[in-house]
Amino acid sequence: MKIKHLSLVILTLIFVFGCSSKEKSGKPKIAVVVSTLNNPWFVMLAESAAANAKKLGYEAKIFDSQNNPAVESDNFENLISSGYDAILLNPTDSDGSISNVLKAKTAGIPVFCMDREINADDAATSQILSDNYSGCVAIGIEFVKELKEKGNYVEIIGLVGDNNTWARSGGFHSVVDKFPNLKMVAQQSGNFDRNKAMEVLETIMQANPNIDAVFCGNDAMAMGAFQALQSAGKANKVKIFGFDGASDVIEKIREKKIIATGMQFPKVMAQTAAQYADEYFKGRRTFPQRVPVEVELINASNIKDY
Amino acid sequence: MKKIYIYILVILIVALLGYKSVYFKKLSAVKNAQKENFDFKAFVDSIYFKGILKSKKNIALTDLISLVQTNSEMAFKEHGNRLGIGNSAFFMIESTGKIFDIKDGVYTIADKKNGIIYIDTKYIFGNAIRDASGLVKLTDFKTNSQFNKVSESLNDIIRNEVIPKAIKTIKIGDSIAFSGAIKLRKNQNLFKDIIVIPSQIKLQ
Repeated sequence: MKIKHLSLVILTLIFVFGCSSKEKSGKPKIAVVVSTLNNPWFVMLAESAAANAKKLGYEAKIFDSQNNPAVESDNFENLISSGYDAILLNPTDSDGSISNVLKAKTAGIPVFCMDREINADDAATSQILSDNYSGCVAIGIEFVKELKEKGNYVEIIGLVGDNNTWARSGGFHSVVDKFPNLKMVAQQSGNFDRNKAMEVLETIMQANPNIDAVFCGNDAMAMGAFQALQSAGKANKVKIFGFDGASDVIEKIREKKIIATGMQFPKVMAQTAAQYADEYFKGRRTFPQRVPVEVELINASNIKDY
Repeated sequence: MKKIYIYILVILIVALLGYKSVYFKKLSAVKNAQKENFDFKAFVDSIYFKGILKSKKNIALTDLISLVQTNSEMAFKEHGNRLGIGNSAFFMIESTGKIFDIKDGVYTIADKKNGIIYIDTKYIFGNAIRDASGLVKLTDFKTNSQFNKVSESLNDIIRNEVIPKAIKTIKIGDSIAFSGAIKLRKNQNLFKDIIVIPSQIKLQ
């Protein structure tokens, strides 16, 4: 009988301590879920987030959502069942990603959004976002001054379902639309992709050969636009504006082949998100829902500083 | 036979009442309507006329420059407004000076204490005035786009109504008092070419 009782006590102890052994079994795990690894900017964001998490003493793994909310959903299900303790998320879609974030929230896992906003203020623990709007207001002013308030232009926007796309476009148009002699002859999506933007601009130029400028929602697309214009022999005539602060565009600004870009700080966003996760593990529960990160205008006048 | 007509009539009346008492709308349309219902114009009217114009928090440009030079940290903490993370902040300043050039909406001012100051009456865009005022919180709005719309409405009032009225009679040689937003970087140590986004200009 005694042996039977003893076995029961041991089994109970194993059950109780076995269930609570997760925290003691090793470091907390942080998942970095990124919209795509097919763009160097997001690779930098994800790697920087993972590196910061590791630096703070946590295990970190990167998950690629391939710009697809369904893949992002699978990633979330996998990492919730794998016992991850926090998620640093670069969402694929401002609406489509909400349910994934809520799934994690229900499972008690904090989610810190980086760079891209989701359209909910009660799902993520915090959202650390580039101030895209202000950055593109500055680009819009530069654009108007460069074009001397008149001309035909093309806008190549990013992913239609991404808030950043519209924040950038909105900031730009909040200025440019006030100048009636600036005429937008086409606005099309280049999906934030260099090759797609090149194809899009090539097609647009068949119908609109006389354009004076192109505004692109990111630098990868600005490089695609540059390639299209170079092939058409118009690279010196048409003024290109980008957004991101990518190194190849910085070089092109130095060479006076691209006019301006907005410098984002992905490393600052990644570091802040990892730091917030660390503070969450240490007991902090109140975070600002949205933390804008300043975007700096880069043009010929200040290129020497970058 | 008559009963059948009565039943049909009753059914028709019930169906009509049912149809008229319930209607369906797309959830997205309802959500958008809720957002659009917010009266940005009325909100920013109040922010501008009751807040910005009556604010006692503006700092004299001379005092700000002096404070930045002696204790930059305190200057940014006490008078600067930066939402989130960044290397710069907006300040709501006030000063006086004499106009000695007007070109493409930019008023060049000879400010006795601060040298040459530029007031840009044309490019009143972005979040400079909203943020410098410190009167609108990010948490007051559910999304960044709504928060940015506050700036657009505020800028519209100042750029389209207030400033055109104020500068209508102002010419080169006039002395003016002005207030507005300036942006300073934390590592800034040169204070030349200061550009003011005006919130108010008054002939002295």
